[in-house]
Amino acid sequence: MKRLHVILDDREVDENPYQPDLWRIVRRYPLTSDVNFYQARAVDVDKTLTMDYLPGQFVMGSVLGEGEAPFSISSTPSRPGLLELCVRKMGTLTETLFSLKENQTIGIRGPYGNGFPIDKMEGKDVLIIAGGLGAAPLRSLLLYVLDNRDKFGKLVYLHGARTPGDMLFREEFMQLKEREDLECLLTVDKDDTGSWTERTGVVTSLFDEMGPIDAANTYAAVCGPPVIYKFVIQHLVKLNIPKHQILMTLERRMKCGIGKCGHCAIEYLYTCMDGPVFTYWDVLHMKELIGKGVSDNVIA
Amino acid sequence: MMILKMKKEDLSVFLETVKEWGELWGPARKGERVVFQRVDGLSQMDLKATRTIIPPKKFLYPQRFTMFDFDDKGYVERTEHVPNRILFGIHPCDIHGIQVMDELFLEEYRDPYYAERREKTLLLGHSCIPDDKCMCSARDTEFIAEGFDLFFTDLKMFYLVWVGSSRGHDLVRMRPELFNRNIGRDDILNYNEYRKWKKAQVQSGADFTGMPDIFELGYNSPIWDELAEKCLSCGQCTMVCPTCNCFNVVDEVELGTVEGTRDRFWDSCMFREYSLVAGGHNFRDKRVERLKLWYTHKLQAYISEFGEPSCVGCGRCVATCPVDINVVTVTKALREQEVGK
Amino acid sequence: MSSPRVGIYGFTGCAGDQLMILNCEDRLIDLFGAVDILSFAMAKSDNKDEELDVAFVEGSISTEEQLEHLKNIRSRAKVLVAIGTCACWGGPQAMKLEEGGFEKRYKGVYGDAKIAVSKALEAQPVDAFVKVELKIPGCPIDKTEFLSAVSKIVAGRHPYFYKFPVCTECKWKENLCILLEGKFCAGPLTKAGCGAVCPSHNIPCVGCWGPTDDLNVGAEYKLLIEKGYSPEEVTRKITKFSGAEVAKLMKGLELKDMEAKK
Repeated sequence: MKRLHVILDDREVDENPYQPDLWRIVRRYPLTSDVNFYQARAVDVDKTLTMDYLPGQFVMGSVLGEGEAPFSISSTPSRPGLLELCVRKMGTLTETLFSLKENQTIGIRGPYGNGFPIDKMEGKDVLIIAGGLGAAPLRSLLLYVLDNRDKFGKLVYLHGARTPGDMLFREEFMQLKEREDLECLLTVDKDDTGSWTERTGVVTSLFDEMGPIDAANTYAAVCGPPVIYKFVIQHLVKLNIPKHQILMTLERRMKCGIGKCGHCAIEYLYTCMDGPVFTYWDVLHMKELIGKGVSDNVIA
Repeated sequence: MMILKMKKEDLSVFLETVKEWGELWGPARKGERVVFQRVDGLSQMDLKATRTIIPPKKFLYPQRFTMFDFDDKGYVERTEHVPNRILFGIHPCDIHGIQVMDELFLEEYRDPYYAERREKTLLLGHSCIPDDKCMCSARDTEFIAEGFDLFFTDLKMFYLVWVGSSRGHDLVRMRPELFNRNIGRDDILNYNEYRKWKKAQVQSGADFTGMPDIFELGYNSPIWDELAEKCLSCGQCTMVCPTCNCFNVVDEVELGTVEGTRDRFWDSCMFREYSLVAGGHNFRDKRVERLKLWYTHKLQAYISEFGEPSCVGCGRCVATCPVDINVVTVTKALREQEVGK
Repeated sequence: MSSPRVGIYGFTGCAGDQLMILNCEDRLIDLFGAVDILSFAMAKSDNKDEELDVAFVEGSISTEEQLEHLKNIRSRAKVLVAIGTCACWGGPQAMKLEEGGFEKRYKGVYGDAKIAVSKALEAQPVDAFVKVELKIPGCPIDKTEFLSAVSKIVAGRHPYFYKFPVCTECKWKENLCILLEGKFCAGPLTKAGCGAVCPSHNIPCVGCWGPTDDLNVGAEYKLLIEKGYSPEEVTRKITKFSGAEVAKLMKGLELKDMEAKK
């Protein structure tokens, strides 16, 4: 154990890690009926430019007088200058955030968390599977790979939503379909518009549609509502993607983002420090990670 | 480590002197209770009391305090005047507890509120008289080698005083004539006797050997459901635990403005709200899941990089829980696969 | 931005919550400055029945006349806040709500006497009749909690209250647990917010703040029986202030207890 006098003496920075900086909402618009898209820029311009992060990391976002909560970053570090967040109106904080207009400010601190292991993923094929709001953190990874296309192998993007109206970034992803350097497959559970040109069915049905993959050489990244993990992971395991190359990013309650407040503890890990990106191997021996259904009864 | 000798009767004078450095705090009786409070001198302290209701963590991160003031221009750190404090009479288990907290709050992402208070607090440990609720020997925390500024071991006629830090040494230098380095054969024999005596005093019968594995094996054991049925979810165990660090944060606004404060207060994993996320999903909706988390941290492994379980064996959960759920009864229940009456 | 339009109303209760608002002393001027109080019968004349941003309602509803008035307030208010334990949970006058038999109890007290005022109802909390956006419990309410909530509402923010039991505040104050002394204490069932006033004076919690977020009535019940209290006494004591709510949670407990005895 490190001795206290050493701990107190070797102090380097005096910054308060709980200190939010003010960021201005420069643009906001609805992505779906209950999800807003926010672009923000630090009031102190230097902060915008020094904000360096990895896909999969998150920030702690504050609304003055309402409180603070974690938000995954939807923008990519390969396009610095603006921070982008997707926010679903779900609770008291997001409700108040929805009432904020362009040019109003929010508090931001971070980035936090481990993010996707980009270094290890370079040179490998990347398979991204998003369900619903899971597209928020995965868009960061998707855009990052596209912006550094030469550094990665094959890229496959699978995205499922309930209805066409519920699909985040629908127009953006539709445009991606025209690119030849990735395979982009979109599906909805139910087409209530009659004009949906893509697939209908659950997201796992896209596994049958996508081209062959080189499993041992593939990193899969999954994010979505709890229900999709079980089925998506079954498919990925069946495809023989190594367990430690199946990545998922998880949500937990957080009050600090920096390993102090305890709320995001999963057994002896902290989601904010050890996650939010975990591997399927983590899930197998961490019973609380995803919960019943995924890790139960798995022996081999 | 420098170890000095001091006559028992000189302690009072010494404490009188060190008050020049800061406020003197120690375990004092308030009716039936013993709490750390500000004292004038040795005569107001009860050094025979085994434990205070709340551990000294309350000095390092108070139950509730303000982190920031804010207005529409942003957040400004609230720096409150923290006085220099000398905590006298802290027992080895509590110093072990503070070491766990030091690691959590001072290493990565240093917590400035904790650091400020920690820096202005000197820990003057004192040997203790264990009771039937102490489990320090089962957790190897009955003695302490570091983490204090001074540590006083009571050997009846005199004290052996461990000097654990430069600042502790500064206190010694305020009255050097009260200390000497003439430690002889009898002192060593006395100290050895003291160690034997202390080990023999700890009789809670707690046995944590193999706990990480038994815990893992018993993760789905119905024992947990039985315990959860008894648990009141009152949170007392977490408030009195020296290694419970959890907190919640809320914003308060001033009437008629958008100005306000960001406040922080002790929270507990025993509460339903603890793992609740926006939208209503609760990762630990059931009481049994919450109990498991607490005991995972206390008996199996704390936070990954710390490796060890965080229980320091102070016995406060044993002394506090109204329905007898504590590290001893839970360990026993898991081991014997039966919840005791 | 004009100040929010506020009304403060009292029904069946001791008016202690309205009194507590008036007792905010140094903050009262701030309060009257931050909101436009259109109606507060206890504090001013010239009360107007107009559209409201926020209505604060104290007391339980126990006559038809009150019910009509409450519905009228609801129809005029964007947000309705129940203040005090009577409005939130019914208070002592609603302790037998779940048992039923109101007619018989009524007759036992008033016999065949003719009551000139409005027809009496079994006292019930406000949300038994109309939608309530927020509950600020307490007997009486706590100034800090009340002002915190009002400040947040005025600023367009969501009020936050401690959701844990009063035991937590009690421990913050370093009190010995009264239950450990073998005595009755309703702390584990009771929402925090009062600052553990009673146990800090060695007086057991009687539960006047109403039920907490996540109470284990079964465990408390069993514990008190083990300590030698009779089932009737335990039931009477823990249902005193928020009887309706606690009684709902207690359903089935006695059955379990009897099964255990077999």
